[in-house]
Amino acid sequence: MNHAWLLPEYVEDILPPYARQVEGLRRRLLELFDAWGYEPVCPPLIEYLDSLLTGAARDLDLKTFKVVDGLSGRMLGVRADITPQAARIDAHLLNRQGVARLCYAGPVLHARPAALTHSRELLQVGAELFGHAGVEADLEILGLLLAALRATGLADFRVSLGHVGLFQALSQAAGLTDDVRQELSAALQAKDRPSLEALAAGLPEVWSDAFRLLPELYGGADMLAQARCDLPALPGVSRALDELGVLLRSDAGNVLSVDLADLRGYGYHTGVVFAAYAGGQAQAIALGGRYDNAGAIFGRVRPATGFSLDLRRVSNSLPAVAPRGGILAPWGQDADLVQRIAELRAAGERVVVELPGQEAHRDESDCDRVLARERGEWRVSPLG
Amino acid sequence: MSITLALSKGRIFEETLPLLAAAGITPLENPESSRKLIIGTNRPDVRLIIVRATDVPTYVQHGAADLGVAGKDVLMEHGGEGLYQPVDLNIARCRMMVATPVGFDYEAAVRRGARLRVATKYVQTARLFFAAKGVHVDLIKLYGSMELAPLVGLADVIVDLVSTGGTLKANNLAAVEEIAQISSRLVVNQASLKLKHDVIQPIIAAFRSAAAAGQA
Repeated sequence: MNHAWLLPEYVEDILPPYARQVEGLRRRLLELFDAWGYEPVCPPLIEYLDSLLTGAARDLDLKTFKVVDGLSGRMLGVRADITPQAARIDAHLLNRQGVARLCYAGPVLHARPAALTHSRELLQVGAELFGHAGVEADLEILGLLLAALRATGLADFRVSLGHVGLFQALSQAAGLTDDVRQELSAALQAKDRPSLEALAAGLPEVWSDAFRLLPELYGGADMLAQARCDLPALPGVSRALDELGVLLRSDAGNVLSVDLADLRGYGYHTGVVFAAYAGGQAQAIALGGRYDNAGAIFGRVRPATGFSLDLRRVSNSLPAVAPRGGILAPWGQDADLVQRIAELRAAGERVVVELPGQEAHRDESDCDRVLARERGEWRVSPLG
Repeated sequence: MSITLALSKGRIFEETLPLLAAAGITPLENPESSRKLIIGTNRPDVRLIIVRATDVPTYVQHGAADLGVAGKDVLMEHGGEGLYQPVDLNIARCRMMVATPVGFDYEAAVRRGARLRVATKYVQTARLFFAAKGVHVDLIKLYGSMELAPLVGLADVIVDLVSTGGTLKANNLAAVEEIAQISSRLVVNQASLKLKHDVIQPIIAAFRSAAAAGQA
């Protein structure tokens, strides 16, 4: 049996009409980013592995496809995330002293799917803001994320905010070793209370109480006020709560909530983090947040914040695509006909020319109207 | 906004009933006598689905169920990725143990540094456990009657759940090391908790207080 049509596991085609939807989304988002002043960049699909997996992006190691470069003999990686590439461009190539706003849209590959039933090829679209350490930059990125989610037409979504800095301040003050910190972070992310109890049991009471409390701290402004009373008054903690408060106040559509145990992302995040969830999707559809050290390995430490999403998955959460429609025109070299078709196309119509002998397959053309000559004039009428 | 809760038949279902009752949820049918896989409850917005115990994390991870009750053994084997595990329900308690034939010198076998042949249903858990001990193992995946493997020379030791120890004793085996205390956990889909927080949070709270009361 011939299996030439078979694709590798967790890899898929996007067929009509969904490919049109995805391409439309991509354009709409890039136009939105442009309107907010974000400049597109197109980093390469492959890079030396050393540069792809630098510093905090090391989490990506298992996700990265690797090949040997036939020219240099060095290991190459196919990018699993564009964010570190944008950080490299900002740190090393642009060298702007002020703020740099970059955006991108391109495929990335994951050697293993991020979650069951996720594709290994993603169409990652995102925006990054470099060079500003204040909450104002996070606010702008969050605003852009919300605008982007609305622009995609998603009906119901929620964005959950967290803050890695708060957890870092607590674990630093508690003097945790790296191992314990990682285990605690994993237990918090899973809201795994029993493991959390076990890990916190050995700590002085002030810290164990604080860590135990984190999974309970979920909600809006009231919760933040409660957190301010109940958590130890460390500078890192109050700063994190202040920043989250500013972000919450920007919530116009009542879609934001804070989850202080949410520490997700690719592991390079250092401050505010956000994750967007949409109905019908079991995992977050967009992730983002602050990552202030990403450029260090490329020679320049720059504060940074941004988000990205996978357009393939966003497209999966959208309602079915409506038929495109269009005008079916006969084939011919008649000057009137050729000009009429050109006019209709210039006016934004989709005009499909019916090649000779194709009359029997009209229904495959996705057209709802037809161009025909009536009393010497080319007129558009409904396809009957 | 409706909620789906995944449960397995048998001990876990029986012991979850009081917790469901605490959350104001009563199943309309008994899965032991009904052949239905989707069971309604007294609450129109809550339904139960009956799945194999090992499949509970998969259903919840995919969002096919919002909540589920799964043993720690199943979660350790699954990895628990993408799940919240907010409550230890303290039901279906037992222990994950290493067991050997009576008279087998486990300590010496582990010290010798050769490869130990381990028969188990819990391949992932056993791999991690022995790797942390620094022992090389050959894992033999079995689907049942693990106790037989060391008796007929298929393996040196087994890794399995032990509750009373009766089966081990009857087959002349002895538990030599504990891997983990096992009990059932409430697991929650991450997106569901964010999107249906107002409905799910009271259920979690009811389960938590009922579980704490049951333990006391």
